Amino acid sequence: MAILELKEVTKTYNDFSVVKGFNLSVSKGELRCLIGPNGAGKTTSLDLITGRQKLTSGTVHFDGKNITKLLEREIAVLGVGRKFQVPAVFKELTVRENFEVSYTERIGPFQNMNPFTKKHSRKHFNEIIELAALGDRLDTVAGLLSHGETQWLEIGMVLMQKPRLLLLDEPTSGMTEQETEKTSEIFKELKGEHTLVVVEHDMSFVRSIADVISVMHQGNMLAEGALSEIEQHPKVKEVYLGTEGIN
Amino acid sequence: MDGNLYHNRKAQWAAYILIFVLLALVPFIFDNPFTLNQFSRYIIFSLTAVSVSLVWGHGGILSLGQGIAFGMGAYGMGATMQMQFQDPVNDPIPTFMLTNELEKLPLVWEPFWSTPIGLSLAIGVPTLFFFIFGYMMFQARVAGVFVAIMTLAMLAAWYSVVYDMQPFTAGFNGISPPSPFEIFGTQIDPYSSTAYWVCVAFLVILTLGTKFLLHTKFGLIVQAMRDDPERARFLGYNVAYYQTVLFTLSGFIAACAGILWVMVTQYVSPTSMEIMLSISMVIWAAVGGRTSLLGAIIGAFLINLGQSYAGDEFQKHWLIMLGVVFVIVVLFLPKGLTGLFESILGKFSGNNKGAKQKA
Amino acid sequence: MSIHDFWTPFSLYPFLNALFIGISLASIFFIAALGLTIIYGAMGVINMAHGEFIMLGAYTTYVFQQFLGVPFLLCLPLAFIVLALIGWIIERGIIRTLYQRPLDTLLATWGLSLILIQGIRLIFGGQPKYVSVPKFLDFQIEANFVHLSGVRLFIILFAIVIGAVTWFLMYKTTLGVRVRAVMQDKEMAAAFGIDANKIYSITFAYGAGLAGMAGALFAAAKTVFPDMGSGYIVEAFLVVVVGGVGLVGSMFSSGILGELSSIFSYFTNGTFARFILFTLIVVFLRFRPQGLITEGATRR
Repeated sequence: MAILELKEVTKTYNDFSVVKGFNLSVSKGELRCLIGPNGAGKTTSLDLITGRQKLTSGTVHFDGKNITKLLEREIAVLGVGRKFQVPAVFKELTVRENFEVSYTERIGPFQNMNPFTKKHSRKHFNEIIELAALGDRLDTVAGLLSHGETQWLEIGMVLMQKPRLLLLDEPTSGMTEQETEKTSEIFKELKGEHTLVVVEHDMSFVRSIADVISVMHQGNMLAEGALSEIEQHPKVKEVYLGTEGIN
Repeated sequence: MDGNLYHNRKAQWAAYILIFVLLALVPFIFDNPFTLNQFSRYIIFSLTAVSVSLVWGHGGILSLGQGIAFGMGAYGMGATMQMQFQDPVNDPIPTFMLTNELEKLPLVWEPFWSTPIGLSLAIGVPTLFFFIFGYMMFQARVAGVFVAIMTLAMLAAWYSVVYDMQPFTAGFNGISPPSPFEIFGTQIDPYSSTAYWVCVAFLVILTLGTKFLLHTKFGLIVQAMRDDPERARFLGYNVAYYQTVLFTLSGFIAACAGILWVMVTQYVSPTSMEIMLSISMVIWAAVGGRTSLLGAIIGAFLINLGQSYAGDEFQKHWLIMLGVVFVIVVLFLPKGLTGLFESILGKFSGNNKGAKQKA
Repeated sequence: MSIHDFWTPFSLYPFLNALFIGISLASIFFIAALGLTIIYGAMGVINMAHGEFIMLGAYTTYVFQQFLGVPFLLCLPLAFIVLALIGWIIERGIIRTLYQRPLDTLLATWGLSLILIQGIRLIFGGQPKYVSVPKFLDFQIEANFVHLSGVRLFIILFAIVIGAVTWFLMYKTTLGVRVRAVMQDKEMAAAFGIDANKIYSITFAYGAGLAGMAGALFAAAKTVFPDMGSGYIVEAFLVVVVGGVGLVGSMFSSGILGELSSIFSYFTNGTFARFILFTLIVVFLRFRPQGLITEGATRR
């Protein structure tokens, strides 16, 4: 069952098409990796899915529902969480507060004015803190975290949202090998219950987590399939500069 | 846990209570009616500074138009007080209208025969206006300097209206209700300690209420939106709605200040909607510390006290000094005096984990 | 009291005259706003003291004319130079420290405007001063529906000239190319060896100089007093905000604002006209996305 369905998605600026008739179908519980050279349209596709940019044409369906024209927050509330390429956390708030804000069971202003509302579910909170390994940094201002810690903070925040679909844009950029490995463990644990779409450049990371890989090139789908298929694909090799293949 | 006393919640509430108690005791220290009336005015100014601190310091929305709500509230109160004086049978039309050749009381003025309705309108209309205006701006994702400019333009527009609609508002002469405000059968003498305490009551209730609100999750979300509105949006929050609510609340507070103002001065004129006044409110909050409600109150007090006691000789130089102080604060002390205090306390606690102001 | 106290009935010649006055107003808005537009466009800085730069230009003209007997026409470039210098100093002193903080820049420049107004008031007193109109401009055009003074005609012509000169500078000189490069992408420009800070100083100085010249012109058309700048600031901002950052945009928005201002003033009295105009603008701005959406443009 496809939880995310992109049909002929196109985004054109003036005369230039960043994304051209792009089709994507992700099944529930899958861990899909979206790879491709810079400028292929990966981040733009995420923008189009989440409502950050408007589609020129095409449709996006989430769990059967047409979300093409919805606002970012409406899409988020439906269960789509996004982690940005440049880590977006609330830099002036502490780690704990970042998590509290991300707990979005009550979303309206007046609901949240109630002083007796739980700021978050204790159990869920603790689970995520442990996952993100930020237990001893709870009262640190987020702006002071290391790059890797900030990435995990954001991943944790997205998880606090309790999303069904997670869109992660280069989650391991700037991470050490250990951190990358750990992220790989987390993602493998998350899939099944959640659906993940991961945009990545680190091929060893992709290798360790992907169920299916989609390769984008110049705004369109170049190839799609399991890791072995992709590695052997002639067009993919060509696009990734030379015959060494993707490494 | 951060050892900085400034961040300790209990210490904060204690500071607020202490200051409010001191303020309440003022009539026992100064019994000169003129001084008391001055202090009432300072209290009202601090209330407007609190409204700025709420929307700007906490919400990140720089509004240069708090005077719109302040002025509307003031005119509403002016109308109410004026109609308290008028007699429906013998003397139904205020003098300034007669001078403007009006033969009948304008329809807009009719509701002000009733004090409760008049007061409700005086507070309700500006609050509603701020809601609509705010919604219009934030729905369109107007932000930053453009909000500042739009609120400024709107203020200038409203100034023009009250200045020009002489038959309705007495224009640049202003409305001077002949008798003090009367409620529950008693008149409140603007120079009395009663008037002063009414003002203090408003300040205490509205400030503590706002502080309480800011400690709920709503306050946290608002702070997050100030930090990164897009991130908040992607978590699912309706940022425009939150901003509108915040903006409306600040308008409500400023409107309350407006009605108190006319109670205390028995006069309302277009000056209440002057650009300089609205920006002064921002200056008070900035100097005292915009991210702290108490800071805004302190800033308003310090500057206005300074202005009154600067003496005639000094008056000429006062505005320049204010400008200089303001520029210095903006350049070097973005968190104002209370921010300075916070850093000093931070040094004593030995902890410097990126001072986070939370008041 | 009837509707006629607020609303003047339509009649052709006075209305056409109003349209013509609109052109005069548009030219005034344009010149007043040009400096602000350039500064905002190049640096993202909202200079609340812009009105005071205009005021200082007026006072400079007054001083040169009154105490040094400098002829009016010469005062124009002199005002430019004086204000460009002042602008340069202010940019290096204050503006530079506040680059990433647009709201704080707005506030700091407001503080600056306070200082300038009061400073001038202390030096010259609050009484209005007069700059005498040079002989060759001392005439009135009275033809059909057109009633225009020589000075206002001069301002219209000057607006066209200064617009053309600025366009030329921006699009036909290497300096202009550099400024536009910095406007588009500061980092990329730096990669090409363009010193953004220097460009900012020059741009700010140019914008201030333009304001100074505007002040010199307006001094001849109206009186000179310390608060005179405040009368231009809101309109100037609205020109920038409505017209966007480009030269052509400013032309159109000053044109529209000038005309609408004049037409509304014709139909109803001056200050009420301001209210209608400003409210319309606020409503208009709500529907015009360019330049208002300041977030979401960040690279993520």
